[in-house]
Amino acid sequence: MRDYALFIPEYIACGVALLVIALELFAPRLRKDLLAYLTALGAVAWFAAGLAFLDRDPKSYQGLFISDDFTAFFRLLAAGIVFVVALMSAEFLKRQRGVDQGEFYGLLLVAGSAMTIMAGATELLTAYLALEVLSFSLYVLVGILKRDLRSNEASLKYILLGAFSSALFLYGLSLVYGAAGTTSYAGIAEAFAGRDSGLDPAVAVGMMLILAGVGFKVSAAPFHMWAPDAYEGAPLPITAFLSTLSKAAGFALILRLFSTAFVTDAESWRWAFLALAAVTMTVGNLIAIQQKNLKRLVAYSSIGQVGYMLISIAALGYGDAQVGLNATSGLLVHLVGYIVTTLALFSALTAAVSRTGSEEIAGLRGLAETQPFLALVITASLFSFAGLPFFAGFATKLFMLQGATTDETIWIVALAVLNSFISLYYYLMVIRQMYLFDPLGEAVRFRVQPVLWGLAAILLLGILFIGMYPGPAFEFSEQAAKPLFESASAAASARVQAP
Amino acid sequence: MVPLENYLALSAIVFALGVYGVLARRNAVMILMSVELMLNAVNINFVAFAAYLDPGRIVGAIFAVFIITVAAAEVGLALAIVIRLFRNRATANVDEAATMKW
Repeated sequence: MRDYALFIPEYIACGVALLVIALELFAPRLRKDLLAYLTALGAVAWFAAGLAFLDRDPKSYQGLFISDDFTAFFRLLAAGIVFVVALMSAEFLKRQRGVDQGEFYGLLLVAGSAMTIMAGATELLTAYLALEVLSFSLYVLVGILKRDLRSNEASLKYILLGAFSSALFLYGLSLVYGAAGTTSYAGIAEAFAGRDSGLDPAVAVGMMLILAGVGFKVSAAPFHMWAPDAYEGAPLPITAFLSTLSKAAGFALILRLFSTAFVTDAESWRWAFLALAAVTMTVGNLIAIQQKNLKRLVAYSSIGQVGYMLISIAALGYGDAQVGLNATSGLLVHLVGYIVTTLALFSALTAAVSRTGSEEIAGLRGLAETQPFLALVITASLFSFAGLPFFAGFATKLFMLQGATTDETIWIVALAVLNSFISLYYYLMVIRQMYLFDPLGEAVRFRVQPVLWGLAAILLLGILFIGMYPGPAFEFSEQAAKPLFESASAAASARVQAP
Repeated sequence: MVPLENYLALSAIVFALGVYGVLARRNAVMILMSVELMLNAVNINFVAFAAYLDPGRIVGAIFAVFIITVAAAEVGLALAIVIRLFRNRATANVDEAATMKW
């Protein structure tokens, strides 16, 4: 029995995507922001359908995809991100000409669905195809401003490096397939657990190549080169989309793959993640200091955040289900905090940039005088990134580092705290521009578009809520992390039937 | 029968050539062709493993078919982007496309 019902939420998302594209094609005179609202509505329906999949028993589709709480968690996250980004884009694209808006909104939904499949994939080919669907959508979205040279250039750099990293990833997959003789995660775990000799050099190389491939996707240093350029060239809402959805999707894939398929060799890849984490957070935060452009600053600061998150992945490698569970739920809760904060920051930035037209940090001069509410939201989200108490970033980062700390990793947690201090410096430089300097032109209050105002206000409340009352978010993340460590044996029985 | 090692050595050589091409070439189209080389090395690997290690099932061969399809789509998309850049700037060289740095 093929259980197609497992994909109902994605049918909704992709159906709305096709509808939006068709609407623009056949009704070109339609007001364009209606497409955005339709997309947002579709995301709400997708979210609602996703809620029905929470708290269910894990169900596998042919051994290729599993629908459990972990998948449901990322589905809700994807729907939420698409909702916010679609509304943000409605305002942003009003001032852009020559953008094919049907494709723009359609691709947002397709990319979101791909993230769900990445989170739920239990087989290498499925995971790879979902990864490529996500990447292709993002390549187009980054380059969607066809007449803007920076957008072209960003998209070119992104696709060349993305294709290169996919090839590395695939070569790794082929070596793992050669060693295990199967592509299902459970089958790989079984094959590796059952062998009598130690780690095969081919498998070691394969895992390192896979690590490099996914490292590119989540922009971990030294594979982060594409990120600042792609972030800078992309339209502002797409920068928000890149820094939330593509990272969350990358971590979903890493978590499922390394906690189930490669768990046998955890001793061997643990140090690689630790090294990657240390390099990533240090490089990201140090280079962020000298940035003048807001989007590049966010790019490097998000690289720093990825560094903190990688510590949790390394903690998966202790082979102990309890440590793994704590580390994973910490990572998931930090992902939620990070996404809410990033989206709040970008809602406010979209509104501010639409007024000033400048994406430089200096463009925010005197914002506290001309638009105090936006300045407040930006300040709150930057404090949240830096991990100051009462904001989401503090509570979630605390949970994450607590979950990931063991006797052997205490040094890297210390490094993470040190890095947070560095990051506070460059966040304060932005806040200084807003509060200590006079605006460049006349100090006239300007109005914020109601949609952006609403988004920023709700997300600001979200930051404060998670920061002061993190219980619900944490319980939700723990529930989502559980299936990864419970169902290891259940998944093994649902062996892949030839796909 | 040709031993499996020969296929793997061939694939490793093709892959290394592809990596060299990506790192050394400056023209975007040439970089894309190098990526294609890398993907074909992966295909050799998959097909060889499928034939030698997993003869009853054809997962590896199917994987290769999917990679060919995805690679075609990837080139189509990348060339469209190169054309966009070429129209706006009249170059397909990656080191001339450098308005953004650091």
